[in-house]
Amino acid sequence: MALLSISEPGQSTPKAHAVKKRAVGIDLGTTNSLVAVASEGHAHTLCDHEDHCLVPSVVHYAADGKVTVGYDAALKGVDDSANTISSVKRLMGRGFEDIHYDLPYEIEANENGGMPLIKTAAGKKSPVEVSAEILKSLVLRGEEEFGDELDGAVITVPAYFDEAQRQATKDAAKLAGIKVLRLLGEPTAAAIAYGLDRKQEETVIIYDLGGGTFDVSLMRLERGVFKVLATGGDAALGGDDLDRTVIQWILAEAGIEDDLSYSQLNALARIARHAKHALSDADSTVVSFEHWSGTLSREQFNNLIDSHIDKTIKACRRVLRDAKVELSEISDVVMVGGSTRTPRVRERVSEFFGAEVHTEIDPDKVVAVGAALQADVLAGNKYGDDILLLDVIPLSLGIETMGGLMEKIIPRNTTIPVARAQQFTTYKDGQSVMSLHVLQGERELVSDCRSLAKFELRDIPPMVAGAAIIEVTYQVDADGLMEVHARELSTGIASSVVVKPSYGLEDRDIEKMITDSYAAAASDKDARSLQENKVEAQRIIESLQSALALDGKNLLSDEEYAELSEGIEKLHIIIDSADSDAIHQASESLNEASLVFAGRRMNTQIKTALAGHSIEEVER
Amino acid sequence: MIETTLNHFELFSLPVSFQVEEAVLDQEYKKLQAVVHPDRFVDADDRTRLQALQQTSMVNDAYETLKSPLKRSAYLLKLHDIDAEEHNQAHLQEEFLLQQLEMREALETLIDSDDVEGLDALKKTVNREKSATLELFESHFLRKDFTAAKSNYNQLQFLFKLLDEIDKAEEKLLDY
Repeated sequence: MALLSISEPGQSTPKAHAVKKRAVGIDLGTTNSLVAVASEGHAHTLCDHEDHCLVPSVVHYAADGKVTVGYDAALKGVDDSANTISSVKRLMGRGFEDIHYDLPYEIEANENGGMPLIKTAAGKKSPVEVSAEILKSLVLRGEEEFGDELDGAVITVPAYFDEAQRQATKDAAKLAGIKVLRLLGEPTAAAIAYGLDRKQEETVIIYDLGGGTFDVSLMRLERGVFKVLATGGDAALGGDDLDRTVIQWILAEAGIEDDLSYSQLNALARIARHAKHALSDADSTVVSFEHWSGTLSREQFNNLIDSHIDKTIKACRRVLRDAKVELSEISDVVMVGGSTRTPRVRERVSEFFGAEVHTEIDPDKVVAVGAALQADVLAGNKYGDDILLLDVIPLSLGIETMGGLMEKIIPRNTTIPVARAQQFTTYKDGQSVMSLHVLQGERELVSDCRSLAKFELRDIPPMVAGAAIIEVTYQVDADGLMEVHARELSTGIASSVVVKPSYGLEDRDIEKMITDSYAAAASDKDARSLQENKVEAQRIIESLQSALALDGKNLLSDEEYAELSEGIEKLHIIIDSADSDAIHQASESLNEASLVFAGRRMNTQIKTALAGHSIEEVER
Repeated sequence: MIETTLNHFELFSLPVSFQVEEAVLDQEYKKLQAVVHPDRFVDADDRTRLQALQQTSMVNDAYETLKSPLKRSAYLLKLHDIDAEEHNQAHLQEEFLLQQLEMREALETLIDSDDVEGLDALKKTVNREKSATLELFESHFLRKDFTAAKSNYNQLQFLFKLLDEIDKAEEKLLDY
């Protein structure tokens, strides 16, 4: 509880050493997804009976409500593309108006705003629900491996993902019933997999060219600390674009100008992909489509894709500049994503950076492997030195100001978690409402940025213009998710609102989705709440008791000590009642009463930490 | 919310001074992060997790403040109860304002004529000016002449903003 547990993180998970926690790392990709587990610093991906480790990120919905995921779903897609949902990651946290490309399935605008709905034979599905299906199938693999339920998962997201996309990912996990230990940036996961932090200070580039997204991150690594200095990339550039250049080449060479059917386009995509893969080893390959046949040389292919690679190099230059790092400082480049198997990509990247290019770990699996290693550590299975991940916010957060302009409050590449406060005042006498519009993006015009949330501060005490002072705090957590709190300062009336971004699902939506699928009985819920409150109360008592034993005599007066001891006694008695609310209230008030003690321990703690003791000592 | 009563310098075991030893700052920052980061409290209750979140945010903010000479200057003034952000024309001499105006005009001309080398030269000039003003700030601050120090800070705000704009112009011309 509170800071009381800060000095002994090991004690907050007392069972960590006794029972192995079951945690997995999940790479929820645009084209393919993977799940991996780790133990003692070694990780491996989980495969099915046919040794398929990649799970195509494809979900098929049948009219009878049957849901199929992965290879089987992709197979059904051949004949039933309208009910086969692929690349759903591109819809996560996006609005209907953001989708400017054709999809093999039908989507429609959500009348309540937010993400579009996908029309399937089994009804309308949100991208969050579809992603949850993929997650469930990955979790199942994990549960089969452990033979038991999972304690938690680390799920990776592109570093480039904005708040709305991260929130949607977390919502999908919640819907799938997964405890998210952390949303981890894909590049950070890749760096963890390579263990590049074990060397002296290094500045590395993570170059991730996947099926549908390109991400580049600049990281500084030093003995256990992973710090993202800057990220960039292109959310709509990947291996699919390389395939498309080949498709266009085929169409041009074969002189095909007619509109093609979906099955023809599917066939072309397969042919293009085969040609691309063949050219990774061969100097040329024969390409055939229907009655036409031709030869594509590697040189021709390289010329076709160079303009796409140029875009990635440009993004690399951008992150170097953002982080104020010279090209010569880069010591290693980590290659991630299937598209980095293309020799031309490796060649150009190595040429540009002039640094060692790592491809030792399968570029399709490296992210899941890193996520699993981190999941194992976060779940409490310690096997050595802890690593520390310091992430940054990929896009600036700000608010709308007069004239439709965006004012940045938290600039991009700021280390998270971060909190920034801003003060506003009223401009009319007696004004009781003020509206705020929270945005994310780099452009100056509000219309060019992503709208995250619009909300109104109500019940501002009536005062003359300029007298009310409203402090708005923007808090971004370690997962890159934001909450906004507001309170009026001058009167001391602190009204506080928490705002969930409009693209995230409301908690009640998620609860509804969960109850819809499980139809939980109300009495179950009450019993659960009583149980939860009891556990919470017990936890508070235990941590306060151990804190009192350690520091109570040094940091508290006799009176204060007696007061807290009495509070513990009271809570003990109330726990045995079956009154959920009373237990909750007594827990709250004991926690309140211990805040001063916690504050003093924090000060002592920080001073001790800084007095030259090593981190290891502090933890023990 | 629990807050430590330590100021940013104390938080990182540093003396309250304009000069900050970066290596020490970095090292102490990592030590603190290792103690307070939310990743250390994955299994804890919501309240503990919220507190870890708030403390880490505070540590990050303190680190960023001390790392940047501009923010550090404002913070030093704040520790002496001076609000550096409160603007007062008297703090900026006319001579300085005129010089700024000239530099801005120079920047506009360079942008219009796609003059990358000219931009680079301007950047060097402004950087020299920045270093000199930072030194002035430090010496005024040491002599406890806070009025003069604040005036230097306000000049620095102009110079940092100008540098930022030169960077942006450069990015545009070099097509980043």
